[in-house]
Amino acid sequence: MTAKKPDPEDKKPEPAAAPAPVPVPAAAAPAPAPAAKAAPPKYVPPTPVLNRGNGRLIEDRFTTWPTQVFADRWSRPGYQWGAGMLAGILLGFAVTSALIGELAGWGDKLYSLLGAQGLPPLAVEAIWVAIKVILVMHVILINGLWSIWWERKISAHIQTRVGPTYAGSPKGWNFHGWAQTAIDGIKLFLKEDVTPAAADKWVHALAPAIVVVPCIIAFAPVLFGDGLAAASLDIGTLYIFAFAGISVIGIVMAGWGSGNKYSLLGGLRGAAQMVSYELPRGFSVVPVLMFAGSLDLQVIANAQAGYWQGIIPRWFIFYPVVGQLAFTIFLIASVAETNRTPFDIPEAESELVSGFHTEYSGMKWSIFFLAEYAYVLLGSFLLATFFLGGGASPINAVPFTLVPSWLWMLGKAMLMMFVFLWIRWTLPRFRVDQLMDYCWKFLLPWSFVNIAFAGLYLAFWLK
Amino acid sequence: MLEQIVFYSLSLLTLASALAVVLHRNTVHSSLFLGLSLAGVAGLFAALGADFIFAAQIMVYVSGVAVLVMFVVMLLGRASDLHLRQINERWMAALLVCGVAAVGLFKIARLHSATVATGAPRPSTHDIGRLFLGEWLVPFELISLVLLAALLGAVFFTRTENAR
Repeated sequence: MTAKKPDPEDKKPEPAAAPAPVPVPAAAAPAPAPAAKAAPPKYVPPTPVLNRGNGRLIEDRFTTWPTQVFADRWSRPGYQWGAGMLAGILLGFAVTSALIGELAGWGDKLYSLLGAQGLPPLAVEAIWVAIKVILVMHVILINGLWSIWWERKISAHIQTRVGPTYAGSPKGWNFHGWAQTAIDGIKLFLKEDVTPAAADKWVHALAPAIVVVPCIIAFAPVLFGDGLAAASLDIGTLYIFAFAGISVIGIVMAGWGSGNKYSLLGGLRGAAQMVSYELPRGFSVVPVLMFAGSLDLQVIANAQAGYWQGIIPRWFIFYPVVGQLAFTIFLIASVAETNRTPFDIPEAESELVSGFHTEYSGMKWSIFFLAEYAYVLLGSFLLATFFLGGGASPINAVPFTLVPSWLWMLGKAMLMMFVFLWIRWTLPRFRVDQLMDYCWKFLLPWSFVNIAFAGLYLAFWLK
Repeated sequence: MLEQIVFYSLSLLTLASALAVVLHRNTVHSSLFLGLSLAGVAGLFAALGADFIFAAQIMVYVSGVAVLVMFVVMLLGRASDLHLRQINERWMAALLVCGVAAVGLFKIARLHSATVATGAPRPSTHDIGRLFLGEWLVPFELISLVLLAALLGAVFFTRTENAR
């Protein structure tokens, strides 16, 4: 017996209300300021465009925020800022990729220069490690800017939308909303950091750090090209898997520390899922390790050099049956490890609000996503290294083999990242029991069978 | 000098967090400190230059065992787990157990206490693999048999009477 309130929203779709909006625009539209032409640098708001259906302003909400704020605050046309920011981002991309790519040879010079300063060797090592850590951290941060924007565009086009379009500048330099992630990042910095009253303060605050720190550490031995790794570790593969697994603790801490039953359920689901999927993920790489005979990522990449009959590259994905099976299992398990959509039961929106990060806001919330996208990048680079030949060219012909190895590596990793995003926006979510059955009764047995196949290959074919 | 700083700080971390595991009243905090303590042990392995065991310790204990302990504590936890004291008054028995364990550990540790560990990490994976599948093959397989038996036992005991 609720009181019937007059609801204007209910009446809108009725055909009888169709003539009603006609007087509304006349009343709502303010007199457009004609004197605004006098000062060219000042931002001139466009004439309001009204929706014919309901008479509301449609142009207004896109042109007043946030780009007009930019234009007004610094009294400079938005496109100049847009061009400047785009140039800055491109310069950042170029400098970063050059530093980790072509200019890596300068690293040795820098190292010897550091050694020539008369510093104690320990200080030289410390400065050198700090430089490498800063470079790798920038890979993670720039990856966040890039891949979130890319994911939004890809998801939009998969769902026949267009995605971010307006962010950037009101006057043109808004190439597919390129500034969307940067502006979202500014928004996240300015948001309030809420800690629920029921939360365990320390656990709640430490959880994002426990998620993101192992992720940064795990990037140390990742191969960005031939000989381009921050740390050349003999146990590289094991090291990456070990540190990538620690992030589960952060997810469990976030789930429990929020003091919220949905978060707790999400955290528990996350723990069960990630501990389970670590097994097929690790075992699917064992054939690759057997073929290469090492855990070192550089040795694994070098083991795939060369071409069969001078045409087909000797990548592990092209090893019949074993390669494809290992690749598929590793890809599926990597998607599951990043909690992305076919496997996103820890954060299932329709059941658990947002799962373990329901009670997070602002930068703490965004750190979870920074870690998620960093793990996507990590999985992409690992797929490229383990199965796609690392920095080797796919075509054994001159213009392709001359392309630097870090460019091939980046291209393969970006291709794999596209596959990650594609999977996420194509497949629906698993149920919890289906998810566990899929891991323990399908992926894990087949990864064992795959190891046996690889043993047969080693016994009869490769030696 | 640097090795000693690293060793003593890691030992302090390991022991302090191990003490926090038993002294904390909140079992969830205890399980988190357990993970920290196990990570400290991994750090000690790294300080000894044992790279493979360092990564295996992190992979198996920190991101496996500690996570499962947290999982169980959170899934089966009662409200009393969050504030009840976890230690009882039986300090005599505890002292006895600790004494026996300490003497045993001392006797084992004395055998190797003269060995100087190399601080720098040295690739040890190939050597470990050769030893496991060569000289120590039988003990290695026996340990895996023990683990298999434990697995089957866990499955057997968790099945209910009806399912049997």
